[in-house]
Amino acid sequence: MNPIRDAWQSIFRRDPLSTDKGKSEFVFLNVWLHIHPAKVKKDNLKVKHTFYLGFITFFLFLILVTSGVALMFYYRPHPPQAYQDMKDLQFVVYLGSFLRNMHRWSAHGMVICVFLHMCRVFYTGSYKRPRQFNWVIGVVLFLLTLGLSFTGYLLPWDQLAFWAITVGTNIGSYAPLVGARVRELLLGGHTVAESALLRFYVLHVAVLPALVTLLTMVHFWRVRKDGGLSRPVWKLKDRQSPELVAIGGAESNAPLAAATASQDKTYGLMEVVTGKPIFETVGMDEEEDAVFSYPYAFFREGIALLATVTTVMAVSLFWQAPLEEMANPAKTPNPAKAPWYFLGLQELVSHSALLGGVIVPALAVLALIAIPYVDLNPSRRPADRKWAIRAFTVFVVVNIVLIVVGTFFRGPGWTLVAPWAHLAGAE
Amino acid sequence: MQRRSFLSWGAAGLAALTSAVGLSLGAVVRYLTPSVFYEPPQSFKIGNPADFSFGPPTFLAEEKIFVFRDREKGFAVASAVCTHLGCTVGYFQSDERFHCPCHGSVFTAEGAVQHGPAPRPLDWFEVTLARDGQLRVDKDHTVPASYRLMV
Repeated sequence: MNPIRDAWQSIFRRDPLSTDKGKSEFVFLNVWLHIHPAKVKKDNLKVKHTFYLGFITFFLFLILVTSGVALMFYYRPHPPQAYQDMKDLQFVVYLGSFLRNMHRWSAHGMVICVFLHMCRVFYTGSYKRPRQFNWVIGVVLFLLTLGLSFTGYLLPWDQLAFWAITVGTNIGSYAPLVGARVRELLLGGHTVAESALLRFYVLHVAVLPALVTLLTMVHFWRVRKDGGLSRPVWKLKDRQSPELVAIGGAESNAPLAAATASQDKTYGLMEVVTGKPIFETVGMDEEEDAVFSYPYAFFREGIALLATVTTVMAVSLFWQAPLEEMANPAKTPNPAKAPWYFLGLQELVSHSALLGGVIVPALAVLALIAIPYVDLNPSRRPADRKWAIRAFTVFVVVNIVLIVVGTFFRGPGWTLVAPWAHLAGAE
Repeated sequence: MQRRSFLSWGAAGLAALTSAVGLSLGAVVRYLTPSVFYEPPQSFKIGNPADFSFGPPTFLAEEKIFVFRDREKGFAVASAVCTHLGCTVGYFQSDERFHCPCHGSVFTAEGAVQHGPAPRPLDWFEVTLARDGQLRVDKDHTVPASYRLMV
């Protein structure tokens, strides 16, 4: 009779971790970990396959929620208090500046990591059947991330915030028919003023985080249900992908009969229903490189978490989140720039508001969503999909070039300037 | 249950559900549309005619307007809000042009687009003489650029 051991076992009712059963139960008897499979394929854990970008994005989101809730204790979403609270956070509140920095830099990091994650998924062809819909959810999560960044941008109520949101919401008002109405709903008025601040605040701290949380759950769940992480591209070399054997059925001329159902491990309804599962099946030869999630996957995820938190903290120690003077509707700073991730958009808008601000971005989003349904090439091997890779690379490069031009090459009056003009303070 | 009654009840139920969802969505949008805007009035007084000098226009920051006073022609009021994305334009005496700091739109002294992405000219607002002798600007009434109030 050992009360401490009894109490421990009432919480963790698994076998010892020295046993295989214990390692499995560690995963699937734990509500926080059971989204993982008990075993994972060793090659899927390699950094050069995923760069852990999805994990890093998720960890940044956790940092954002934590630091954001902390900041809420000292923030009143009403001008001019909102700006005064920023000053309090900067100079009075213990760790206030540090927490604000963490929040700001994680937000930038999350936009970058979501984008890089999307690039990784594209270049490894991981959006292909059966993962098409999870790609769509990913695109929506990307848009929600931008929405969170945009709504958060107004909250400091400084000049940067005020004019970025003025320009940003005016871009939206160019949408045909509904534009002006959407802007009025978003701002709760006709100019960026106190009702706009309150609305952006509610969207930022309640509505959008809730949507992101829900969709992230679906996103993760779908990763499991679609057969776990996609196989690394180098594993597909020189032979037909096992995924295609299972899924491509009719079109594939691979020796389907040779891989009998009994030899396959499937993630599906198995004997309960008839018909082929839409999920990936894994041949017996693949089983050999499977390892237990505990400790292999958790150790690597833990490293990724530590690296993310450490990096954000280090950056936040040395770089201050910008805060300009209080918002002044009468004085537009010159140049007035949107947040950097919208500067590509602003660059387009500087040529034509309707075309650049509404039509092109809308088409770009639709194209992103359509990718898995348009690209019907079943192969994930880079050699088999040269044109898809070229097209996506053009998209990525155009985005980066537009943002770089908007950030560094645009001066007062949106005229082209040399990038060092900003450094020299030549304005 | 008869096939006929199943279909008619089903159709009625579906119609009820659709209208309930539609009405609820409409109510949500209506709820989010403010019934009262706590914004500055669109029609306001800006002071006596004598307060304004001849020559370059006077910029009223709060109201975001330029007040022009011309010896022969009289008063005219231009909007300082760029028609492109709502930034506040500045008037430069050196070239007698309005310049927008956000995307480089340039407007002539008459408000016409000379350069840049602005889709239409600057707005000109109706200016009248109130009963107490002050100038009254009405932002809800736009007028042609040639509009002048003689005082």
